[in-house]
Amino acid sequence: MANGYTGKIARINLTTKEISTLDTAKYEEFGGGYGMGAAIFWELAVAPGEWDLKDPFDPRHVLPLMVGPLAATGVPGAGRTSVCGISPETFPTCEFWRGNFGGRFGTMMKLAGWDGVVVEGKADKPVWINIVNDQIKIEDAKDLWGRDTWETQDKIATMVGGRTRFGEEWQKFENNTYATGRPQIVCIGPVGEAKSRLASLITGSGVSARIGGFGAVFGAKNLKAISVIGSGTVQMADPKAILDARLWQMTGGGLVTGGFAPASAGSGSCNPCLRADRRRNVYRAGETMCVDQFWLNNPEKQGLGMSSTGQGDSERDLASEALMKYGASGWSAHFLGLFVSDIPGAPAFFHKKVPVETGIGWYIRYLHEIGELGPGKRIESSPLPMDEWGELSFRLAFLDAISKRVGIGDALAEGCCRAAQKWGRLEKDMESGALRFPAWGATGHWTLPSVEWAYNYMLGAGDPSWHGLVTAVGAPRGKTLEQSLTELSKKTIPYTDDLMMFNYVWKGDEAYKTGIYSPHKAKEVAWSRHYASFWNESMAFCEMFLPNLETISPEIEMKYYAAVTGKKDSFADTIRIGQKIWTLERAIRTMHGRSRQTEDLAPFMYKPGASGMTFWGGVPMYENGNWRSDEAPDMYLDRKGVDQFKTHYYALEGWDKEHGWPTRKTLEGYGLKHVADTMAKKNRLGV
Amino acid sequence: MAESKKAGERKKTFLRRDFLAGSGVAIAAGALSICAPESAAALAQETTPAAKPSYAPSTGYIVYDSRLCWGCQSCMFACSSSHQGEANPALSRIQIIRDAPSFTKYPLDVVMAPCRQCVTPLCVQNCPTGAAHVDAEHGNVRVIDQAKCIGCKKCIQMCPQRPHRTVWNPYKKKSSKCDLCIDAPFWSKKGGPGGEPACVAGCPAHALKLVAEPPPQEDVAGYDVNLDQPRPKMPPRVPGTPMGKQPASKS
Repeated sequence: MANGYTGKIARINLTTKEISTLDTAKYEEFGGGYGMGAAIFWELAVAPGEWDLKDPFDPRHVLPLMVGPLAATGVPGAGRTSVCGISPETFPTCEFWRGNFGGRFGTMMKLAGWDGVVVEGKADKPVWINIVNDQIKIEDAKDLWGRDTWETQDKIATMVGGRTRFGEEWQKFENNTYATGRPQIVCIGPVGEAKSRLASLITGSGVSARIGGFGAVFGAKNLKAISVIGSGTVQMADPKAILDARLWQMTGGGLVTGGFAPASAGSGSCNPCLRADRRRNVYRAGETMCVDQFWLNNPEKQGLGMSSTGQGDSERDLASEALMKYGASGWSAHFLGLFVSDIPGAPAFFHKKVPVETGIGWYIRYLHEIGELGPGKRIESSPLPMDEWGELSFRLAFLDAISKRVGIGDALAEGCCRAAQKWGRLEKDMESGALRFPAWGATGHWTLPSVEWAYNYMLGAGDPSWHGLVTAVGAPRGKTLEQSLTELSKKTIPYTDDLMMFNYVWKGDEAYKTGIYSPHKAKEVAWSRHYASFWNESMAFCEMFLPNLETISPEIEMKYYAAVTGKKDSFADTIRIGQKIWTLERAIRTMHGRSRQTEDLAPFMYKPGASGMTFWGGVPMYENGNWRSDEAPDMYLDRKGVDQFKTHYYALEGWDKEHGWPTRKTLEGYGLKHVADTMAKKNRLGV
Repeated sequence: MAESKKAGERKKTFLRRDFLAGSGVAIAAGALSICAPESAAALAQETTPAAKPSYAPSTGYIVYDSRLCWGCQSCMFACSSSHQGEANPALSRIQIIRDAPSFTKYPLDVVMAPCRQCVTPLCVQNCPTGAAHVDAEHGNVRVIDQAKCIGCKKCIQMCPQRPHRTVWNPYKKKSSKCDLCIDAPFWSKKGGPGGEPACVAGCPAHALKLVAEPPPQEDVAGYDVNLDQPRPKMPPRVPGTPMGKQPASKS
């Protein structure tokens, strides 16, 4: 098969120890990666109808870790591994959601001969999965359980690599092949073992799947790690065309970097910050992203900023190292973000310090400031040293407490919103904005005034973490805003030549006619989801690498896609596949309980102070016949407007107006009749 | 050579592999431990310095900057794709090994292992069939004629580098080595000395370079040189926004 696929997916049942294979071709209509993962989840977890999909820790939970066809073909930045399932992190319900991680795991998975691995069941004791080319073993993890993520990987690498000396020798495999590479391992740390909803999956020193809390699902399955090493081959339709595309991208087709300076990518790995990655590797947890690097940000002591000194022993470096070793998510366990704004009426401590990206650490401090949380207070803070909140010692105590679930750590391990609920403060603090989680209990990340981001929070199950449009609609380089948006609108196929898609007017009638509550805005939100579903989540391009809508997208994506797969699809066809994946995702959520009534944003999003701040020169506003960029720091939403947006959006996607459920006509239009039939049996089909 | 001079200005850490690289035949025996342990001692005895013929030096060499390399393996995929038409880093004639997940710190976390086109090529010297030879028609590049290769692995066993730079193809049961893309059927550009090898052209970090003069052969430092260059800057966004700032990064 010269199409980028290896042709088989490993299916591993930890309960029965049965190891079998799925035929990749069966799921090829969904592209790869997340698309295939969602299709497999539907087939194995939803369609049988035996599981209500509520508890992510249920042994019936099916967890696909999937790679795309472009991985391990020489296409840069396309080696990410997608993981999807019922997310322990989302609130108030555990929703179907996805995350992904870069590094070298996905590439190695392909070289071992697999398009993905699907984990089911629950081991009766801690285990790890050992994949060496086509050989898969379930190994005893007795000596690994309790260890941090770095120790775990070191030990497994030694077990798999044997006496092969790093950088000096080729390792020989049973099939008489050789390779110099090291096994790539994704694992959990003590936070995942404790089934904390703040747990991430870690590979390498700091590459992680931060969204979704899927590390806790590994923990619930007694699965410590998956290791993979391969020495095989991936066949492509047109290898010469891949190399030509690579040259075109590097020389004549625009910058190697994406919309952001750090976004560069190599072929055998996917870490967009790789440019800086190795140089950052002079210090601890060098592969971590910005969110992990500013996990220790004490505005009173250090100011706000990322670790960038490379000194290797700063408190920030040590904090990000600890975060990675414990296997906690820099997103879910967020303290303070890099960017701050002000909120009317905020306590003095937070004056001009309210982070755009808020999290559990910010909330702890807030409760402490108002006298609710502390030693001997209504909410007992032990064992956290509250007077050391801004110090490394506090971060270490925090990680230790949640991983052992001692004292306040037991509540915190359940995530910020669940902790607030336990403490009887949920409604009040959601209303006031002290809990700044835009939707589904997910840590804040941009949202307003980038309103398409906010809508994606609501329609999905939290942070979309997709920056594809924020730079493209920003103030342009070397041209007028109207010229820039006109060029952009040629690319957003099939919704072309509608500049009002990019209109962020939020006040008055215009907001309803052409602005953020209009049918035009529904197109922008839909396109972002459809593009991301196919290209970023299924073809597995790092979203910081592509799209680069200001220059080489979508030409470069199409060059790579055609060269690897040999498919004749047009760009419009790929967006249509993305819409199909998004619709299947919606079907899974519908079966789980999603409806128009449960789909909303947090109360603070409807109040002054909701907006964070923009970069890239603001968002476009069309007023009085002219376009201008506006940072819109005062933007907030109107309930009636968001409700109207839902109506427009559901109509555009072919979901019913009353519930937001996909209709039979829509599903059958994508060849998903079997999905419609299953939904009809449960009375969940849109009409 | 300018690069070498620059490299000398920069403090290099002397690695364990530096010793291995410069010590020729004596080390070749150790290099066998993975691929063919049974014949290591015998081969080391067969090849003596006295038997060393002289070879016309190659007019092309790939030098590199291990501090710039991302460890992304773009060069490895480019190599296997351009020569074999398939993606397989294990068939690449340039090997980049990153110590993930063992957390060795920069700059020791990546080992770059391209063929050195040795001035004294032990692979050529020890090939029993003449398959490994100096290609006079293409600038004296050291290459392996696949038609003549009998798969005896002597070129692999005698390569003084660690890991060895001659590569075993288990599917064809033949050895191959870097030919600077003289014979790369899936590569659009001209290879060989003065050309554009796929690995060099495909390196996004600009950590590889083709040069004409033989680098110093004594140790790794002759090949691991300073290739750093200033990055192009993006044009500014149109001013007139309240903030007027450029993003330093994103989260």
